[in-house]
Amino acid sequence: MIGVMARIDHLASRGGTVWHRASALSKLILALLVLALALATRSLALLGALYALAAALALTSRLPLRLVAIAAGYPIVFSGLFLVSAWDGTWQTPARLLLRPLAASLIAVWLVGTTPYPDLFAPLSRVLPRSVGDGLFLTYRALFDIGARGERLWRAMRLRGGAGGANGRRLAQAGDGFATLVLYAFERSQRQYATMRLRGHQGRICGCRHYAELTPFDGWVALVAALVVTAACVLWRSV
Amino acid sequence: MSHLHIPDGVLAWWVWAPGLALALLLLVLASRRAGHDEGVQVALRGALGGLVLAAMAVELPLGPVDYHLSLAGPLGVLLGAAGAFQVLFVVSAILALAGHGGFTVIGLNALVLGSGAALARPLYRALRAHRSPAVSLALAAGAAQGVSGLAWFAVVGLALRLGVAAAPARLGVLSGIALPLWVVGMLLEGAVGYGLGRFLAKVRPDLLPGTTAPRVGAA
Repeated sequence: MIGVMARIDHLASRGGTVWHRASALSKLILALLVLALALATRSLALLGALYALAAALALTSRLPLRLVAIAAGYPIVFSGLFLVSAWDGTWQTPARLLLRPLAASLIAVWLVGTTPYPDLFAPLSRVLPRSVGDGLFLTYRALFDIGARGERLWRAMRLRGGAGGANGRRLAQAGDGFATLVLYAFERSQRQYATMRLRGHQGRICGCRHYAELTPFDGWVALVAALVVTAACVLWRSV
Repeated sequence: MSHLHIPDGVLAWWVWAPGLALALLLLVLASRRAGHDEGVQVALRGALGGLVLAAMAVELPLGPVDYHLSLAGPLGVLLGAAGAFQVLFVVSAILALAGHGGFTVIGLNALVLGSGAALARPLYRALRAHRSPAVSLALAAGAAQGVSGLAWFAVVGLALRLGVAAAPARLGVLSGIALPLWVVGMLLEGAVGYGLGRFLAKVRPDLLPGTTAPRVGAA
């Protein structure tokens, strides 16, 4: 998972499509619009249209096909139990249950795959309590550092024979290894706080304001939003 | 088993919307309770949140399924209910952005994991009077995972019974799959808690509750 997140992070920052150049705010609004419509509508035609649109957005953002396929396949796997439970002998009910999460997951992968995380978290941090907003930035940063530290630790343990021996010994080694990571996280947080204070931290990590800076490329996002609204008006009452 | 991997659009709105509203309300209350312990505590929660995410990324193969740790219990013992809930909300939000569960279940995930974390510290304190830190943390972590697992089962069971046109018999299938994972989850989280408690008691006992005041703010 960490590898996938790192890959998405890289793609979001380095991509050069119109979607990457549009502001985070407009993309967030479009994603929320698609998500809200997908959750609210019972029209299969509208769900199909939203799915096609989300797929088109994901594919035109030059994200790797494998990543898009994972995003598209994930809801199928995890909806399985509900699909089986909800089957009433018709094809419409499972289709509805499947199209909703498919459209939602594809629009989500488009959003995170074209928006760097500081721009994505900045608007969220403004509506969440201060400490939670800051926690979004710090947790995301810490993930990669601690993940890499954990990998190095397990590798070192294996090389030094920590992965061998009886089950009890291995479990104890794994516990010590994990506890070392917890201790590292504590010490890291102290260093980080000292750095934050040195850099003038005054009780809030300010997310950059780039997220709301509109560019000419937002016109494309607005065009897609207009298409979504038109589709909703036309198809809302259809089957 | 303690984390809902359910994508958006599967659960009925009246299952996830109250969960999200309640989680946001608790989040505001938890933030107010945290009060002015900002700064180093925010950094600490961020670091432990990163650790929880990293632990969740490690898949432990259990036959046909993979299991990942939640660490709700150790987190609850180390940070307390309010701090742990904030971390778990942030972790659930980042997992949703990574496609690991939908946006609509962020609140439910925070509540499911937070229910176990809230129990962990009081239980640890009660056990600590008669047992070693390692055993106390192991039991608290196992119990926290047990409570989170029950909350998970309650949410999924409710959704299956009422949220979609479910047949009651499906709950039997769900129970058959979930029960062994629930037990394994408690054992694994307990083992991790034991290792953590044993190590911290030797190296940094001040980080465990009920000992001397934490030195984390001393920097």
